[in-house]
Amino acid sequence: MSSHCRNDPVLSNALRARAVAIATVFALLCSCQREDREYASAPTSNAQPPRQSTLQPGATAANPADPVGQHYQDNAFHIDEGSRLYRAYNCSGCHANGGGGIGPALMDADWRYGGRIDQIHATILEGRPNGMPSFRGKLTDAQAWQLAAYVRAMSGNVRNDAEPSRREGMAATPPLDRLPKQPPRNGDPSAGTVPPP
Amino acid sequence: MMRTSPLRWLLPAVAMLAAGGCNRVQSVLLSSGDQASAAGGIWNLMLWVCVPIYVFVLIALALAMRRRPTPAGTTRDRAIGRGLAAWLALVGALLTVLVTASFLVDRRINRVAVAPLQIRVTAHQWWWDIQYLDPDVSKRFSTANELHLPVDRDTRIELASADVIHSFWVPSLSGKLDLIPGRTNAMTLTPRRVGWYRGQCAEFCGLQHAHMALDVRVDNAAGFAAWRAQQLAAPQLPLSGAALAGEHLFESSACAMCHAVAGTIAGGHGGPDLTHLASRRMLAAGTWPMDRDHLDRWIADPQKPKPGALMPAVPLDPRDRAAIDDYLMGLR
Amino acid sequence: MKAIRIAGLAVAIVCSAQLAAQPPDGDWTMSAHDYASTRYSALDALNTQNVAKLAVDFTFSTGIDRGQEAAPLVVGETMYIVGPFPNPVFALDLTKPGAPLKWKYQPHPEPAAQGVACCDVVNRGGAYANGTFVFNTLDGNTIALDAATGMERWKAHLGDINKGETITMAPLIVKGKVLVGDSGGEFGVRGWLAALDLADGHVVWKAYNTGPDADVLIGPQFKPFYAGDRGKDLGVKTWPPQAWKIGGGTVWGWISYDPALNLVYYGTGNPGPWNADQRPGDNKWTSGIFARDADTGQARWYYQFSPHDLYDYDAVNENLLLDLPIGGTTRKVIVRPERNGFIYVIDRATGQVLSADPFGLNNSIERIDLKSGRPVYNPSYRPKAGRTTRGICPGSPGAKDWNPSAYSPKTGLVYIPHINLCMDVEPSEVSYIAGTPYVGTDQRMYAGPGGNRGVFTAWDPVRRKVAWEVKEDLPLWSAALVTAGDLVFYGTMDGWFKAVDARTGALKWQFQTGSGIIGQPVSYRGPDGRQYIAVLSGVGGWAGAIVVGNLDPRDSTGASGFVNATRDLKQKTGTGGTLYVFALPK
Repeated sequence: MSSHCRNDPVLSNALRARAVAIATVFALLCSCQREDREYASAPTSNAQPPRQSTLQPGATAANPADPVGQHYQDNAFHIDEGSRLYRAYNCSGCHANGGGGIGPALMDADWRYGGRIDQIHATILEGRPNGMPSFRGKLTDAQAWQLAAYVRAMSGNVRNDAEPSRREGMAATPPLDRLPKQPPRNGDPSAGTVPPP
Repeated sequence: MMRTSPLRWLLPAVAMLAAGGCNRVQSVLLSSGDQASAAGGIWNLMLWVCVPIYVFVLIALALAMRRRPTPAGTTRDRAIGRGLAAWLALVGALLTVLVTASFLVDRRINRVAVAPLQIRVTAHQWWWDIQYLDPDVSKRFSTANELHLPVDRDTRIELASADVIHSFWVPSLSGKLDLIPGRTNAMTLTPRRVGWYRGQCAEFCGLQHAHMALDVRVDNAAGFAAWRAQQLAAPQLPLSGAALAGEHLFESSACAMCHAVAGTIAGGHGGPDLTHLASRRMLAAGTWPMDRDHLDRWIADPQKPKPGALMPAVPLDPRDRAAIDDYLMGLR
Repeated sequence: MKAIRIAGLAVAIVCSAQLAAQPPDGDWTMSAHDYASTRYSALDALNTQNVAKLAVDFTFSTGIDRGQEAAPLVVGETMYIVGPFPNPVFALDLTKPGAPLKWKYQPHPEPAAQGVACCDVVNRGGAYANGTFVFNTLDGNTIALDAATGMERWKAHLGDINKGETITMAPLIVKGKVLVGDSGGEFGVRGWLAALDLADGHVVWKAYNTGPDADVLIGPQFKPFYAGDRGKDLGVKTWPPQAWKIGGGTVWGWISYDPALNLVYYGTGNPGPWNADQRPGDNKWTSGIFARDADTGQARWYYQFSPHDLYDYDAVNENLLLDLPIGGTTRKVIVRPERNGFIYVIDRATGQVLSADPFGLNNSIERIDLKSGRPVYNPSYRPKAGRTTRGICPGSPGAKDWNPSAYSPKTGLVYIPHINLCMDVEPSEVSYIAGTPYVGTDQRMYAGPGGNRGVFTAWDPVRRKVAWEVKEDLPLWSAALVTAGDLVFYGTMDGWFKAVDARTGALKWQFQTGSGIIGQPVSYRGPDGRQYIAVLSGVGGWAGAIVVGNLDPRDSTGASGFVNATRDLKQKTGTGGTLYVFALPK
């Protein structure tokens, strides 16, 4: 943007300087937390395990989301790390590059065990009875969150400024920002809150 | 806090620098292999040709700045013209010599290797994966961060990268060559002197570029054969109870997701092959010396010595970690 | 012309002698009908003249909506059906109208096994002998039931799902032994074939398909025809160190048995991982065929169809044991439509390849060198890690996958249901993490030239050429059945069950079942003396994974790339699990 301004002959020097300053401040603000690289200090969860069923007999109580999940799903570094681990840990062997195979598709809006990040995190760590292995002990908590953030992003449920880079070669699927941002079906209704693009 | 005298770190630093200058472990000037000495030869030639020229040019420049202009057409002017022509001819001749020498040295460095040992080096952020290739596939093996070469024999090294651009550089043995994702480069090394050498990634490749060193051991034929036989053998099974427990922990926890120990259920390729880990000299691509204490601290938190390394700190009970240490220290 | 007719007659005579040793014509006691794996029914009440009147007699729902690959077995007055996971067994009483349920057995396999079943949770059927019905469960058990009551006689645990081992194949019972092999070539398991005692289920012998000779049961009797297969411990030496331990070579396909030679024949699956760069060498004894002594399991000969298999051409296909006139004499041979696209004729006593001709489109293998026995791979289609190699034909399901062919001694033709798919492949390095897929390739498949994804070929094994063929839009994933009435039956993935003329391929009859057919049709004589045709309908398997797994077609690499070839399948069929039994109206 700034380079475009600089090339514009109509703008006076003062205007140009101001535009550059504003653009710089804006750019700095944007990059504040989106790409924070937390190698050692990433938060880990200690919240209640998420509910698996939306059905609660009688009056319903809220199912608070684990705040740690929000931290991971808004961070581009963590989502990209999740993308790397997705291939390195053979998730792609069963779920392909989102389309599924042995395991279900991850790029659609159907979630058997809930599409909220903390539900996905629980699915990865605890496993599910019909074939999803339990990776508790095989992953650190932070890695499970990173994977969950990426898996959630595969169906387009990701902030545009935290979107992971597209895969290359055959593993490339449609760009995430062009997938319909439909709220995940099944699971907790609050899972449907998709951040504004 | 106590104020430390600058001498306390300055002296060792100076001593280290001085020592670095005179040993052969990582030296551009003291070559220990054909390729490095070929490069060293042309470096010397260029130095001895270019330094006098440079000095002469500087002197000529200084003289020219002090001198008054010479009117055109005078005898002096013609003399200067002749001098310049002679100078140009000399420069041309010297350049021809240098180009020829460079061409010949290039040919020497890139000559076709004779019955070479074949090795494939794949650079990762931030470690070296080393595969010894062999026409007999059952004699192939993998190791990491430690390259063993036989002395007086050609070794052809294929260079590949798993992620970003790296550069392979063992100054005592050869010049640099980049490892580029999606393409395979190749170089030949012919070491001439037995000893330990140090290589280093020479292309900035990310946060831990500095901690991406390579230990190179040049050995005589017998020593190399013995090392190779040991690498080919399956690691010995753990004997002690703690080490057995360590093996089970290693295979049932996060370790086996990225690391391989040949012949066991652990077959990850994300991190270095640990089949003969304890036989190596250094840990984490030259970050620390390989001993039980450092290994334990490394497993406890790799992010402390090497922030950004892809190995996470796996929360383990210290007793479990000790069992894993026992197991890994037995992998000789 | 006359000479051909005489040759055909000779075939008929030779083969009828062989068939005489088989169970009563009216029964169907093993998946492939007989030990020679012909899938030929000598019943001829139904023929090309009256087949148009064929109609549904009764149906039965298995209650499971996954891929139904099993053959219903008929012994006397009872029909036995094994369903896909959770592998229930049903016995139907054929004496009563509507064939009511006689008994039902539920093995309750471990549900987690579904997570390590590479290509849908199928089961390829059971086997019957001496009043015992034997079948396998997905979680690695072999179970023997009292055929009269459905009571469990014994249960043998053979596979470990935590290492990715499952069992999907149909066992074969030979001389009081149950032959069983494992599945899991996509999970880095070590393949084996075991012989269990039919009486109590204990393991009589177990032969691995990788590793040292002692494990592979290779001894002094082992005399392979080709020099490349001779040597000590080739199951170790043709692998990088220790890689044979996770090298695949599973036995999830078909076993044949020659009583005269007392040899069993079976194919071994693909080496692991699919990314061939990680396993340099010939990778013995994967992607080949073993002949073993039925009593001891000792190997007699071996031949490798795809050494250093580059494309997952695992060699589990059926072996049709035929006696054919070749070069003026009658030879005891195996006719084998192989996944790599060639139909082999192999001397079944020695393992010598007599001929190998392409029966489908093929560019990955230029030819089979009969001198060394080795295929000549086309170097321009050799996949390399980190780049996409395009247009490989056939794709990794091969020119023909698991679904077995049939042979009619009357026509002398082999009926091959197969596919016409090519693929693009991009290998990448993969970690072995026990219990997770050990594959290391992204790939996508698509229809080969012509645009049709399935082909039904009638192949003349003597003249070595195609007699006729029928092009099918969808991949053919069902087995073939041929009867003495000169009818060939097969099903399509959009649910049509078809009968074609065995001599011309002309469509004579078809019926729309509720779901795609990927099963094995059978023919039997009911207690009322009528001829019946039975088939299970229910789409699934690797080809039908997009429907049973509800996969997303936007990812072309889904289900190892098969999704790309069957993206329209969800619009053409839905899941199902129903037995259809047809007969001429009374």
